[in-house]
Amino acid sequence: MGTLLIVLTYIAYVFIVAVYAIKVRKWLKLPVHIRWDLYPVIHEEQYRYGGSYYEKPEWWTQPRPKNTGRSLWHALKDNFYMGEYFKRNPLYWLFLLPWHLGFIFIILFHITCFFAATAMVGGVTIASDSPQLLGQIFYGILMAFAVIAFIGGTFGCIGMPVIKLADRGLRSYAMPMNYFNYFFFLIVYASGLYSWLALDPTLAEYRMYWVGLITLTPPDLNPATVFHIILFDIFLIYLPFTRSTHYITRLLAYFKIRWDDEPNFRGSMLEKQLNDLLAQKLSWDAPHILKGQSWVEAAISSGLPETKPETKKD
Amino acid sequence: MIRKTGIQDFTKPGGQVAELEPADWMKLPAPYDQMDKPLKKLTEDQRKRMDATLDGVVAIGILPPSMPEEEKAFVDRFLAGVEKLFDAKDNWTFLQPLYHSLEYCVKCQICSDACPAYVASGRQDIYRPTMRPELLRRIISTYVKKEHPLLRKFKASNIELNAQALIRLAELAYRCTLCRRCAQVCLLGCDNALISREIRKIFSQQMGIAPKEVHEKGSVQQIKVGSSTGMTPPALADILEFTEEEIAEKTGKKIKIPVDKKGSDILLLHNAGEFLAWPENLEAFAILFDAAGIDWTLSSELVGYDAVNYGVWYDDVQFARVALRHAQAAKNLGVKRISLGECGHAHKAMIVVADRVLTGELNIPRESALPLMEKIVMSGRIKLDPGRNNFPVTLHDPCNMVRLMGIVEPQRRILRKIAPQFREMTPHGVENYCCGGGSGFAVISSNNFPDWRSSVSGRMKLKQTLDAFADAPSADVKKYVCAPCSNCKGQYRELFNTYGVWEKSGIFYGGLVELIVNAMADLKQPFIQWEWH
Repeated sequence: MGTLLIVLTYIAYVFIVAVYAIKVRKWLKLPVHIRWDLYPVIHEEQYRYGGSYYEKPEWWTQPRPKNTGRSLWHALKDNFYMGEYFKRNPLYWLFLLPWHLGFIFIILFHITCFFAATAMVGGVTIASDSPQLLGQIFYGILMAFAVIAFIGGTFGCIGMPVIKLADRGLRSYAMPMNYFNYFFFLIVYASGLYSWLALDPTLAEYRMYWVGLITLTPPDLNPATVFHIILFDIFLIYLPFTRSTHYITRLLAYFKIRWDDEPNFRGSMLEKQLNDLLAQKLSWDAPHILKGQSWVEAAISSGLPETKPETKKD
Repeated sequence: MIRKTGIQDFTKPGGQVAELEPADWMKLPAPYDQMDKPLKKLTEDQRKRMDATLDGVVAIGILPPSMPEEEKAFVDRFLAGVEKLFDAKDNWTFLQPLYHSLEYCVKCQICSDACPAYVASGRQDIYRPTMRPELLRRIISTYVKKEHPLLRKFKASNIELNAQALIRLAELAYRCTLCRRCAQVCLLGCDNALISREIRKIFSQQMGIAPKEVHEKGSVQQIKVGSSTGMTPPALADILEFTEEEIAEKTGKKIKIPVDKKGSDILLLHNAGEFLAWPENLEAFAILFDAAGIDWTLSSELVGYDAVNYGVWYDDVQFARVALRHAQAAKNLGVKRISLGECGHAHKAMIVVADRVLTGELNIPRESALPLMEKIVMSGRIKLDPGRNNFPVTLHDPCNMVRLMGIVEPQRRILRKIAPQFREMTPHGVENYCCGGGSGFAVISSNNFPDWRSSVSGRMKLKQTLDAFADAPSADVKKYVCAPCSNCKGQYRELFNTYGVWEKSGIFYGGLVELIVNAMADLKQPFIQWEWH
């Protein structure tokens, strides 16, 4: 069983990383698009009220300072706060936030377990009364992450279907998959909660499990913990089939779409890319577009009926 | 009473999907709370000629196919268009934001209450910003990706398509003003307004279907005769002559409006609507620039004298054609920069969107006239007397300039300097509400669409404008809504006419430059004449 657990865990992690990477790569490989910024753009100087460099006369002659760190902080903090929901639908936020915190912290918990286990292999004792400060810190972080994940996740998984059924707008757009997810994730979190509360209050078994993963030594664990770990591995394999990649793609959308205010200057790399895109052929069928023309040719032509050759095919 | 509408109702043949009743609409302040009338019903004959089964309103007016083969061809053509929407050659322009929004929206409905049309309608389900994307998503799942029926059941992504459902979808794409308030509140970076635009694009670029005021009498006419208003270069010359006479009459100043002045610093692009409907805006620009010693010119070249670019609302190819011609006009004159007058969508189109269409010599620096106006006002070059603007003034933020471009403060700094009774609307700035005439609505005038525009899409703006002047409701106190956008002014005119706002509340509307010129101390008489038109 222990060997199976190790194999399954490695498969789960490789799978989720690979599929997420493929999805992110697909997103990033999409061509440069027309600018479609939306203000406030957080890296702008005047982001507090939503101002842009267009507020300056002859803006192209002025410096355009960018604060990317602020943008990153702004985008990341919402993963842990979701302020717009709090402002607009506090009841929904009450369940949505714990539901998301469950995701984030269960993954952070396991990542921290990995580092803690590495430290253990190196001789550090992980405990509240560890002689090493590092051991105490790891212990505190692991406990905090696990508690937030198990309690938050369980609460969120119970609350989300309730709010979804109670709110007509949410209900009418809900799909069976949503309810399946709530049920499945509830079992994942609740099994972890049970295992922690009833059998493993210091979470020592998870550290043993991670030491086993690192040293490739099958661990001897309580069946309830094994059950939770198997469910968690399945959870990792299942996640890429949900919309969960939005934790990453939302950041891409902020930086590459909403806050993409990079102007196109003559002779720039961007201009070169655009010239390549504008040279591509069109295949739209409407009467005002001549199939087979490039974007540039189409723009130069008027598209008026009298200028269209008779050979155009539908 | 609002009828609950589900996605499945779209594909049911026959009856209307949603009924719009005045009793359901968001309440307006008194005395406007007693004025709503039901939307004009289409005649029997109109109903035969165009499908109005979405909400009884018609923006496009599509004739439903009568024969099964025609219906199949109609649906197939649309589906071919959907495929092109995901082709990197045919739709590089918006593929990434489109893909992201379709793929990652979790339908949490946080965007619904950000939509003024949805809220003002009394929260009609069909106007939820998520409705159009969900329909498109289901079409893609069922007919383009052809996902397994069990998977479609699991994801609730099945749809039985027919021509009527598509016509309803086409109409529904023209119930969104593309103000992108919905996108602004989305924590996942999804943009449901963009999807409205992309649906419009399929109908236009694939099927040749668009509201005639936007396409045939809009962008096509602009390319053909020079302006979407139908104004030709000779007509422009007549109007400018008239404008110069008007300036002389009002101010005593003899100003020659520069046209085709080669090598000028600035090519000023006006929305041609100003020439015909609000010539005082054109006059005010000429007076201000003349007084400030700006080296500027207008163009009389075809398309070069009308800043509008309706393509930005529905069709990338038409957009590129017009943008190219604007840039070409500037290049032919050898100007150093292009400055956009008071037209919101022209700002967005020419300064931002065209930035990734214009390359090489056509990539001429482009800017808004607002920062230039601010520079003039703040420079002290012109003597301004704020006392001349001592009446309540509020500011409308055109979505395209503000939320979509970040030009927020220049107009405010000007108003704080020249309008002692300036007050903000709530909300304002980048969180403003659309006037209700955005994305072409202000020019769509056929059938009963203007009724919908005044009663539903413009309702929130009317309410917040009235609220901004709640401290001075009497018609005896003349008040001014500063709307630095031609389309927004068109919508204000319509709203105020429909509800009799000028008569009942004494609220006038106009641009920003008119207020600046009104404050010019050397003018013998006020520039703003408070004549309703």
